[in-house]
Amino acid sequence: MSHPDSESELTKRALLPAGLRDVLPLDAAHEAAVIEALLARCASHGYERVKPPLVEFETSLFAGPGAAMSDSTFRLMDPVSQKMMGVRADMTVQIARIATTRLKQEPRPLRLCYAGEVLRVSANQLSPERQLVQVGAELLGGDSVAADAEPVLLAVEALRSIGVTDLSVDLTAPRVIPILLAGSDLPADTLRSLRMAIDRKHTAEVRRLAGDLAPVLTQLMDAAGSWQDALGELSDIELPEAARAAIDRVAAIARSVAEIEPDLAMTIDPVENRGFEYYTGFGFSLFARGVRGELGRGGRYQVDGGDGIGSTGFTLYMETVLRALPDPTRPERLYLPSGTAVDQARALREQGWITIAALDKDPDPALEASRLGCTHILKDGAPVAL
Amino acid sequence: MTANQPLILALPKGRILKAITPILKRAGIELEDDFFNESSRRLQFHTNQADLEVIRVRSFDTATFLAFGAAHLAIAGSDVLMEFDHPEIYAPVDLNVGHCRLAVAEPAELAAKENPQHWSHLRIATKYPNVTRRHFAARGVQAECIKLNGAMELAPGLGLCRRIVDLVETGSTLKANGLVEVEQIAAVSARLAVNRAALKTRPGPVKDLVDRIGEAALAA
Repeated sequence: MSHPDSESELTKRALLPAGLRDVLPLDAAHEAAVIEALLARCASHGYERVKPPLVEFETSLFAGPGAAMSDSTFRLMDPVSQKMMGVRADMTVQIARIATTRLKQEPRPLRLCYAGEVLRVSANQLSPERQLVQVGAELLGGDSVAADAEPVLLAVEALRSIGVTDLSVDLTAPRVIPILLAGSDLPADTLRSLRMAIDRKHTAEVRRLAGDLAPVLTQLMDAAGSWQDALGELSDIELPEAARAAIDRVAAIARSVAEIEPDLAMTIDPVENRGFEYYTGFGFSLFARGVRGELGRGGRYQVDGGDGIGSTGFTLYMETVLRALPDPTRPERLYLPSGTAVDQARALREQGWITIAALDKDPDPALEASRLGCTHILKDGAPVAL
Repeated sequence: MTANQPLILALPKGRILKAITPILKRAGIELEDDFFNESSRRLQFHTNQADLEVIRVRSFDTATFLAFGAAHLAIAGSDVLMEFDHPEIYAPVDLNVGHCRLAVAEPAELAAKENPQHWSHLRIATKYPNVTRRHFAARGVQAECIKLNGAMELAPGLGLCRRIVDLVETGSTLKANGLVEVEQIAAVSARLAVNRAALKTRPGPVKDLVDRIGEAALAA
C-alpha cells in the first residue's frame, strides 16, 4: 500500500449496486435469530431442513412454476459445462426438484424446510431490495384438505412465535377465474382487458367487458371479504363444476384452519390471481395489520415431472417479516477490566454474559466500558450496572 | 402495531377535488373546513368520523402514498393509477367524475402530412412516461419519453419534441397552442382505489367505505 486512500475513494467504495446492502451489527444477529426461530418451529413439526445451491442450470430453475421467475433471474454462463445458469430468484422450485429427484424414494408426504438468500434482477420503488431472504416449508405428496391446512397453520404459528401480532390470512382460489374465462367466447383482446380489470377489482369495467360472465364475476368479486361472510355469499353463486370444486376446497381449508385457530383473522378472495398463476390448488397470503406488503405467501401447486406430486407450502419474505417486528435492542454487555482471570471470564460467559475483554491496561475502566457500549462492568468479582 | 389507527384517505389537489367533495358528502363524510382553506399549511385533516382521516397530496402522489400503505384508500384519476400500475393497488370504484382523456397530440401541420401507421420511433414529452411507452410498445413503436411536469403544450412549438401525451379535457389548451389530438390512449375518470394489505387486514371498515362511496357516486 503506497498511498492511503483519500476520503472520496473510501466513500466511493461504500457505494453498493442498487438494491444491495450491508446488514450491520444488531440487525444481522436479529435477522439470523429470527430465521433460526422460524426454522425451529418448522423442525418441531417434522419439516427437515435442506440447502439447495445458490446457482443452478436454467433448465431446472425455470421448470414448471419456476417459469414465473424467469424475467427476474440473474443469469451467468458456466464456463465448465458451457450452459446457462441462473442465480435463484426463488427457492420453492429447488425444493420441488430435490423432492422429485434425490429424495424420490423417501416416503410421502415429505416435509422439508429451508432458508436462504435469493437474488432478483428487477427492483422497484416499492420493494427496492434485490437480495432477499426467504424462509419456507413445503409439504410434498399430500392431497387432503389437512395437507393444505397444515402449512397455513404452520406459517401462522411460526410468525406468532417470533412476535408478529395482528396476523391475517387471505385465502384465494387462483384457478376459478381461469376456469371461468376458459369457457367464454370473448375475443382475446377483451379477455386481456378483463383479466386486468379483475386483478384491479374494477367492478364497473368487469361488468362492461364480461358479457354473459358479468353476473358471476361481479358476484365473486363482491363475495371477497372476511371468511364467514365470503363463504355464505359464495355458496349461493352458480358456478361450473370445476370452479365450484375449487371454491369448495377453499371453504374446507378455511373451516379446517378456523377449527384450530378460531381467533385468526381470515379473509377469502376468490378472484385474486396475480402472482398465483402457477398454483393448481388454493393460494394464501399472510398480512399483519399496519405492515406494508405481504409477510409471505403460499399454496398448492403440481410439481413438474417425476411422479407428479402435489405440494403445499409457504415462503416468508424476511424483509417484510422484520418490518413487522420491533427493532432489535443491544443485549447487555459486561466489560472485563484488564487483569480479569481467564477462568472467571469463562464462568461469566457460561452464565450467559456477553463479555468485552480489555486488551490493554486501562487507566479508567469505567470510561472505557461505556465507550465500548457496555452496560455492566466487573467490579470486585461481580458485574455492576454502569 | 397500528391496529386501531384511523383509516387514511388520500385526496388529490386540483382538478378532481371539486368534483368529489359532493360525493363524499353524500357518502356521509364531512371534511373539516380547514381542508378547503388553500392557505392552510396542514396536510392531514379530520373528518366527521373518528376512524377516518384525509390527507391532501399532489394527484400524482396519491398512488405512491397508496402503494406504500401510507394511505389506505385514495381517490385518484385513472391516468395516475395507469402510470403507477402496481399490484398493491386495487381500484374498485369508478366515481364517474373528472372525465377527460389521455391523448397523443402534435402540431396541426404535422398531423396533416404524416401517417401514424409509419411511426417507428417517436420522441414524446409527457407526464406519463410509463403509460406512453407501454401504449406505443403494444403497437411496435419505440417511444422515447421526455418527462415534463407541466406545460407540455409548449414543447412542440419550441422544438423540444414534436409530440406530446397529455390529459385533454376540452381540447382548448391544445388548440391555443396549435396542436391537434391524433390518437386517444385511454378515457380517464376519477377512481376510488384501495391498498391491498389494508383491504385484507381490515376488510370490514374498508369494504364499508368503498360501498358507501360507490353508492354515493352512482346516486350522482
